Amino acid sequence: MTVQPKKLKGRAFLTPYLFILPWILGFLAFTLGPMLFSLVMSFFDWPVVGEVTFVGLDNYVNMFTDDPLFWQSLWVTIKFALLFVPLNLFIALFLAMMLNQKVRGSGFFRTVFYLPSVISGVALAMIWAWVYDGEYGIFNYLLSLVGITGPNWLNDTSWALVAMVIASLWGQGSMVLIFLAGLKSIPESLYEAASIDGAGAVQKFFRITLPMVSPTILFNLIMTIISAFQQLSLALLLTGGGPLQSTYFYAMFAYDNAFKYFKMGYASANSWFMFVIILVLTFLVFKTSGKWVYYEGDNRRGGEEA
Amino acid sequence: MKKVASKWMAAGMALLLAVAAGCSQAQPSGTDGTSSNTGTTTPASSDKKETVTLRFATWDTDQMLKIQQDIAKQFEQKNPGVKVQVEAYADGFDQKLVAAFGAKNPPDVMYMWDFPTYNASLEPLDEYVKKDPSVAIDDFYQGLLNYNRFDGKLFGLPAGFSTRVVFYNKKLFNEANVPLPTDNWTWDDFKSAAKQLTVRDKKQYGFAVRSEPDTYDLQQFVWSNGSSFISPDGKAIEGYMNSKETAEALQIFSDLAKDKSALLVGGKNQQSGNDLFKAGKLAMYDNGVWSLESYKKANVDFGTVVMPQFPGKPGKGVIATSSVSIAKDSKNKELAWEFLKFFVSSDAIKMRTSDLPVRISVVQEKKLDQDPLYAPFYKTLEQSTDTPAFLLNPHWNEINRNLSAAVNAIMMGQNAEELLNKAVKDSQKFLK
Repeated sequence: MTVQPKKLKGRAFLTPYLFILPWILGFLAFTLGPMLFSLVMSFFDWPVVGEVTFVGLDNYVNMFTDDPLFWQSLWVTIKFALLFVPLNLFIALFLAMMLNQKVRGSGFFRTVFYLPSVISGVALAMIWAWVYDGEYGIFNYLLSLVGITGPNWLNDTSWALVAMVIASLWGQGSMVLIFLAGLKSIPESLYEAASIDGAGAVQKFFRITLPMVSPTILFNLIMTIISAFQQLSLALLLTGGGPLQSTYFYAMFAYDNAFKYFKMGYASANSWFMFVIILVLTFLVFKTSGKWVYYEGDNRRGGEEA
Repeated sequence: MKKVASKWMAAGMALLLAVAAGCSQAQPSGTDGTSSNTGTTTPASSDKKETVTLRFATWDTDQMLKIQQDIAKQFEQKNPGVKVQVEAYADGFDQKLVAAFGAKNPPDVMYMWDFPTYNASLEPLDEYVKKDPSVAIDDFYQGLLNYNRFDGKLFGLPAGFSTRVVFYNKKLFNEANVPLPTDNWTWDDFKSAAKQLTVRDKKQYGFAVRSEPDTYDLQQFVWSNGSSFISPDGKAIEGYMNSKETAEALQIFSDLAKDKSALLVGGKNQQSGNDLFKAGKLAMYDNGVWSLESYKKANVDFGTVVMPQFPGKPGKGVIATSSVSIAKDSKNKELAWEFLKFFVSSDAIKMRTSDLPVRISVVQEKKLDQDPLYAPFYKTLEQSTDTPAFLLNPHWNEINRNLSAAVNAIMMGQNAEELLNKAVKDSQKFLK
């Protein structure tokens, strides 16, 4: 039997809304408002200084038909996402499982792995510039110790994007933390029962850990896809999109159009296309999630088992 | 998680514009900007009670910014009742300036170099200069004034500048028994020196090639080889940007990197030629005057020399200027002119120690054109008679995107002529 919540009236009705009013105002002024404004801008030729003219769908059409940089940057971003998303999820889950072990000093390691997430992007980029330097960098020095001559990472078209992937993997502390929380919520009794039934570590992982943590994987997967497609700061600070546009991410393409060439309308169109891409990908992930995500107490699943 | 930075920023900026536009109308409008006072009276002095605020925007930071704040303070002392608000936009200079112009609330006086983009929003200065002989326009180097003209009108006055020269490490030259470069050295001399000065085992290099050089800086090499990126009338690039001479000039650097007598250094925050030169790992580096002091501090025993020449052809230079301009929408044009005039006066120019003096009289007084470290900069200035491409065609920004892509690929070792032909082909549509 469900209980109907009592209807709030007068001041009692208003109070909760007043509490969240600052957020609502901020959202309207700094998120929704500008978003809608950029949608409007995307149908204009909007040079900031000079005449604003309505051009209809021209910005969108130009993007697809007349701008090789659009395709180049999109391709770079997709390549990055294909490398980054699986690696990031895998490593974050692996680290979280390591940190979940009951060993002395695990608190220390949790702090250490979270630390890079606290460092500002600019400082991180500075460090990576030094690490990746082809001639005097620490990375190639370490490689030389095992007899490998490393490439000039950031100046090599075939390695620059890989370097971006590796550097991006560093800032995943928050993802590890979320995984860790997911792992912590798995009841110990399940593992105990499995042990009694004679299950090994591998079986425990695939039969208990993975299904139980799958909602967290779904969340992290979506967040990783979004962050992969919005990749900007590292390349902006380290390579400027080079060499030969091999790290020219889509976000940088839009950024350049807006703030280097001051084509606000065109950049808005770029951004909205990105919005659509992310929307579609997120939708697809959600669509397929029913097949692999397990929710405890979910009736559909429970029914199947019976 | 990061937001879609670009989208939010684009939208946020638009919102800011709207807000700023609203604010600007609410502001009291100082003294009347349309009054036709001659520059000899300072409007501020008649207005004792109220202070007039003059906004000055600069892209400089650190020491350079400090100098400009000092210049502003001196101006305030000489003009009671005036407050100069120095706005340091740093790396975001263009973004902030464009936004301010768009909102019709620009700074009164600002640093300027990109006259094709901004000239419509700037106050032409020819009348001011004519009416006010105290600015002593003939005391400026003519080559510098050329960079401040667009469509035949003067839109700015130079405050500081630099040309580019080769800095060389004397110790490394002596160690390798290579004769020090002279004023009339050629590219062949340069190449053989770079080769001899490279010692792979010591991670020492003869020269550093930027993998993504600014095409602006490369113009002087193309000019020196008797070509140019664009025709003198700014209407054609075919036969200029992709000429044999252009390709040849660019190929020099790519060849140096290919045979390892030069190190390919990255853009942005990667290991820079500057750091390597300071560390004594680089024998030669082409640069402006900006790093000279830091080289001194790093205790490098260095000299400067003009760029090498192509045999039988005169050397050419390209100038980087910091000019100052007045906004057309300034509400205080007379006061702005007074400030601008002070900013480029001999007194202020002498205070600017981080770039080179723009006044002939100051240079002669300080004997800079005879100082071995500084003379090459002025010799190159004399050779800076060509007009850079961006002043010749309003669509240069777009053309330059294709050219930059080609140049970057050339530096990475790809075929110069092919790439330049492609850049020309891709850019033809912007010329119509």
